[in-house]
Amino acid sequence: MSLISKPHTAAPTRTRLHQRQDWTAAAFIAPAMVVLALFLLYPLVANFRLSFVNWNGLGNTARDVGLSNWLDLSRDAVFLRALGNNALLAVFSILIQLPLGLLLAVTLSRASRGSVALRIIYVLPLLMSSVAIGTVFRDLYDPNFGAINTALRSLHLDGLAQDWLGDPRFALASVIAVVCWQSVPFYMLLFMAGLSSMPDELREAATLDGASPRVIFWRITLPFLQGTVRTAAVLSLIGSLRYFDLVYVMTGGGPSGSSEVMATYMYRTVFSAFNIGYGAAVSSAMFLIVVVAASAALRLSRRYQTEV
Amino acid sequence: MKHASWMALTVVLASSLAAAQSALDVWHLQTTEGGKAVIQNAVNRFMKANPGVTVNVSPTPNDTYKTKLKIAFGANAAPCVFASWGGGPLYEYVKSDQVVDLTPYLQKDQTFYKRFVPAAWSAVTFDKKTYGIPAENTGIAVMLYNKALFAQYHLSPPKTWDDLLKIVATLKTHNVAALSLANKAKWPGSMYYGYLVDRIGGPDVFKNAVLRTNGGSFANPAFVKAGQMIQDLVKAGAFAQGYNGLDYDSGASRQLLYSGRAAMELMGTWELATIQNENPTFAKNVGFFAFPSVAGGKGNANDVLGTVGDNFYSIAKSCKTPDLAYKLLKALTDDQATQDRLADHRLPPVKGLTVTDPLLSQVAAFVAKAPSVQLWYDQDLAPQLGELHKDTSQALLGLTVTPQAAADQMEALAKKLAK
Repeated sequence: MSLISKPHTAAPTRTRLHQRQDWTAAAFIAPAMVVLALFLLYPLVANFRLSFVNWNGLGNTARDVGLSNWLDLSRDAVFLRALGNNALLAVFSILIQLPLGLLLAVTLSRASRGSVALRIIYVLPLLMSSVAIGTVFRDLYDPNFGAINTALRSLHLDGLAQDWLGDPRFALASVIAVVCWQSVPFYMLLFMAGLSSMPDELREAATLDGASPRVIFWRITLPFLQGTVRTAAVLSLIGSLRYFDLVYVMTGGGPSGSSEVMATYMYRTVFSAFNIGYGAAVSSAMFLIVVVAASAALRLSRRYQTEV
Repeated sequence: MKHASWMALTVVLASSLAAAQSALDVWHLQTTEGGKAVIQNAVNRFMKANPGVTVNVSPTPNDTYKTKLKIAFGANAAPCVFASWGGGPLYEYVKSDQVVDLTPYLQKDQTFYKRFVPAAWSAVTFDKKTYGIPAENTGIAVMLYNKALFAQYHLSPPKTWDDLLKIVATLKTHNVAALSLANKAKWPGSMYYGYLVDRIGGPDVFKNAVLRTNGGSFANPAFVKAGQMIQDLVKAGAFAQGYNGLDYDSGASRQLLYSGRAAMELMGTWELATIQNENPTFAKNVGFFAFPSVAGGKGNANDVLGTVGDNFYSIAKSCKTPDLAYKLLKALTDDQATQDRLADHRLPPVKGLTVTDPLLSQVAAFVAKAPSVQLWYDQDLAPQLGELHKDTSQALLGLTVTPQAAADQMEALAKKLAK
């Protein structure tokens, strides 16, 4: 995986120098590998093993229960609903965050006065902690005193003033809206980085040929950014399936499980219900789902790749 | 830089070795200034009386505390002395052989044992053995109400459920919600369920269902009827908007009371002290009454739901100096500490207290005449059942589950766990 392409010669016999270089490389990689094995691989395997026991997490009381946690999980209405909520979160994240991020990136990357100030403003949500964002929006959403309903009522739109976080019909949508607000700047930055590597000549040539800005966007900018879009979509998918923080702060997964996601369910199972084995099954299932979904997404997106 | 960090490490190691000779760790969850001071002062007195003993106190907020304690026990790094609410979660630790049985100590120490209100011991007594000392407070669920609003609309505290429904209707005509509830965390709403089950079926229905004795079952008609009555209350429009999403910890339910948008709140008596601190003007307007009785119900209207003791102090089995830790438990609950707690507007479960605070003496009177004190359901039940109970009681309030289905779900899990 060298970055410098070697001249095409017949495969050289490996010299001592090469071998010594290999050892040196291995020595440099080893510490990172040890850390990975210790803090990533081992917990992953240990967690899988935990999913086959029944344990309250205290003392040596674990009992082997075989596949029963996994069988219960496949029939667990709460878990299936949480998985469905994760899927909704993923779909809406990709459909809302990516286009908005792209729009902002394209708009702001055309250098103009004031765009620096705008960039800073748009990036702000990315700099705040999720807990703080959740707390602020919880207060904005408050059905009796919150700014949102107060504004709606002052416009005589009382019919639209809802119980945003306490009504099972709206809780998930209310949380997703805040997740998008928080994440759009990240995708904006990603696309801006992609755009910055686009040669100016491309756009200049197209302009000389009389292409309108719209044509330039669809025919040149977007194809140029397709790798970035693909990366962004996969990141968004993985992030949505593992999502925890804003849901935990704003609704706790309620009311009645309407905004529960897999991670909040796992947290409750382990830390409130003392049900370690089942919680381990939930998190192992999460891991498998994320791996399958991410590799499927990568494969799909490669299929629709176009040559630039 | 490098030197400094090595130095620091050495100092830490050396100090931890020195401290290991006779150091006790105390973990608790009193995070108010007053609550922290009571414990720290008791600890300081203990250290003065026992030279050479170091006691490290760590206060941690409620929800974080639960997680921290669990992880510490799971990792064999438990503190010598720790606080809990007793009930189902403490029983998990006891069953795992992690908690010292205090019965032998208390048998030798009858005068100390008899200082406490008898009802206080039930939350920490399992299989006739006692595993904790009741210490902090008496917290029972009562109906707080805005006296000025009641006077304005010529209402008086309801004695029965039907009276309550009439009040709900009257207040509704004046655009005031009868009840404020902040049920995001699910335990506040659970209080309605616990009280209704008691008023309908008496205290034994729940006890038998938990202990699986005398044919007890969570699908008993009393549980189903309690769920139905909660849903009647919701359908009558009793609760201020947002009740299943509001956050109790951020004061959302009190905000509704202060603004006059809601007239009552079912909450533990600690709320009285909170209101006194938060809004002294409004506090003058607050009264409270017992949860109403149910016509034809078996429960005594004086039964209470809550905790006598609130936080109980136990000793971990891993503690190398259990005798010293027991001495510390006594220091944490001695006369001085009891007086300090009284001064901090709390009611420790000790006999023969002279209570001057009018609201506190009313609470004391409530407990004194209660034939039964039922610990909070979410604290009494085994953790898995407690979690399901919180889920189903929130769903009942949200009208997203039928009373029968909620009761059946609880019974199914109780059966599974009893195997």
